[in-house]
Amino acid sequence: MLLYIKLAWRNIFRNKRRTIISGLAIAIGLASLIYVDALYIGMKNNIVDNITKSFMSDGQIHRKGFRQRQEVELTINNIDDVVKNLKKEKIVDKFSVRAYGFAMISSSNNVNSVVLVGIDPDRERYLSQIDDTIIKGIYFKGTDDNQIIIGKKLAEILEVELGDRIVVTVAQANSSELSQELFRVSGIYFLNNPQFDKGMAFIRLGKAQKMLNIGKGGHEIAIKLKKGIDRIHIDKLNIWKKFSSNGNEAESWIDIMPQMKMMFEMTNLSLSLIGFILFAIVALVIINSLFMSIYERMFELGVLRAIGTRPSGAFKMIIFESGALAVFSIILGIILGYILTFIFTKVGIDYTGIEMMGVTIKNIIYPVMELRQFIIYPIIVFFITILVGVYPGIYAAKLQPAEALRKSL
Amino acid sequence: MSDKKIIIKTENLKKDYKEDGVVVHAVRGIDFMIEKGEFSAIVGPSGCGKTTLLNLISGLDTPDEGKVWLDGKLISDMSGKELSDFRRDNIGFIFQAYNLIPVLTVEENIEYIMLLQGIGKKERHNRVIEILEEVGLSGLENRRPTQLSGGQQQRVTIARAMVSKPKIILADEPTANLDSKTGTELLDMMAELNEKTGMTFLFSTHDKMVMERARRVVVLKDGMIVDKKEIDIV
Repeated sequence: MLLYIKLAWRNIFRNKRRTIISGLAIAIGLASLIYVDALYIGMKNNIVDNITKSFMSDGQIHRKGFRQRQEVELTINNIDDVVKNLKKEKIVDKFSVRAYGFAMISSSNNVNSVVLVGIDPDRERYLSQIDDTIIKGIYFKGTDDNQIIIGKKLAEILEVELGDRIVVTVAQANSSELSQELFRVSGIYFLNNPQFDKGMAFIRLGKAQKMLNIGKGGHEIAIKLKKGIDRIHIDKLNIWKKFSSNGNEAESWIDIMPQMKMMFEMTNLSLSLIGFILFAIVALVIINSLFMSIYERMFELGVLRAIGTRPSGAFKMIIFESGALAVFSIILGIILGYILTFIFTKVGIDYTGIEMMGVTIKNIIYPVMELRQFIIYPIIVFFITILVGVYPGIYAAKLQPAEALRKSL
Repeated sequence: MSDKKIIIKTENLKKDYKEDGVVVHAVRGIDFMIEKGEFSAIVGPSGCGKTTLLNLISGLDTPDEGKVWLDGKLISDMSGKELSDFRRDNIGFIFQAYNLIPVLTVEENIEYIMLLQGIGKKERHNRVIEILEEVGLSGLENRRPTQLSGGQQQRVTIARAMVSKPKIILADEPTANLDSKTGTELLDMMAELNEKTGMTFLFSTHDKMVMERARRVVVLKDGMIVDKKEIDIV
């Protein structure tokens, strides 16, 4: 065995240029896979951050049917108990109650329909980016109930500026009586999301509860989980099942946005496709390299077979050469992959402003290096190399010694 | 020729090749025998079937018809694996020049067969040192073949062929790529080793120097032994 390993290692460096070129081709394939994988993780994280940090949070609790029907009456059942239990959950970092109502919002110049959201300003800071995206004015301050925060687009439609008065009209729960209140624009935000920037207005939770006539109730509890939780596979957590009781339903963000799950699956599929193409190229490079090496050494193989090397020995010799080429290429690929990915983890890739599945990329994408990329892909490359070595290996094993000796003369 | 001393025996050996669609009758029904310990040669012009006959005798090629016995064993019916093992243990090969493994040192080239035989490291090393002394290459065990002259390389080949103490040494044109002085030296050395060890040497050659030293010469022409009477010249 040791003899074959020694022979294989020395043989692959007999034609240094060819080995380096073949090795480099395999290494580039491996490095590309590592980089693309890291980039996809970076993209996923970026998208997940955009979704969960802007307003969605990691998950939400609603009364069953509220998400589909959006009826004001469908407030969360036993909300006090739910809040009490959420406080006890170790996995939960922050949460905040929200109230929703469809509203007509009118200024002296225009009118528009919006979703009016009642929020607890202090708690909401930790769950959404509304406070961070204020471009004019301030986030809620003091105890003034008549402050309203609207999006940049809505402000343009209503032709209002900071301090301008606007009237909000909502239908109350149960009675369908209209409730109308006067607000002053205290802040204008820009989330770079047309749906939000045009169609949502934020007021204090207490005021919203009063306007909607829902007492101390709420329609939604946004939940932020503690750091370190895999937010892509967050739907697998038990917490959602646990809080889906008493007519309420708790869902992770990915359950609320199933299209993202599909997108991630498609991303994985495209990564697999890229991997397949790269591995196919790698396989062809190896087969070509090994056959060239066999044809070059035909006489030598004939001699080795003549002096007593069994067919299985000739097979092993080629497989070990394949393995040696794999080891050389993998080392090169890991180094290349690390350098390439490392550079981009520092520099990042600017896709800001590009929209993907309704999510606008707001931040620079930084590829994420994981140990897995440097273990799984090299292992796959190694096994593919060994596997494709089987064909030239069988060829070498089947060589008639006399034929091999004659072919080379 | 007594039967118990016969080490190589062929019976009606035939082998055809196709070259560019044309059938070439390389060996056409050859019967001959070689006794144990002989220093013999198969001679004839280029293309007469010498190498093919040697390949058939050694099991490197399979005959279309006929049988081959080596040391009493019918090798023409053996499987690939059995043949490999048989060659490893019973036959030493000397080819034309350039048949050493260039990536292995002299010592590694020589010990290759012993490694296949599963002989221990110490014994392998001792045998290599011993055989290198016999072929006059002491101290060169760590050199690569490319660092040796053509004559030295052939000496290493002889050492490799003999180190596992096989019963038969088959040499295909061993002096073809050597100058006459080196060729003579090598042939003298092989003749001496033949005397000393009692191993059977069978050459395929058209080198007169080999014929002069051979105790039996088999003359081939167009794949056949041309004259049986001439076979047993000593």
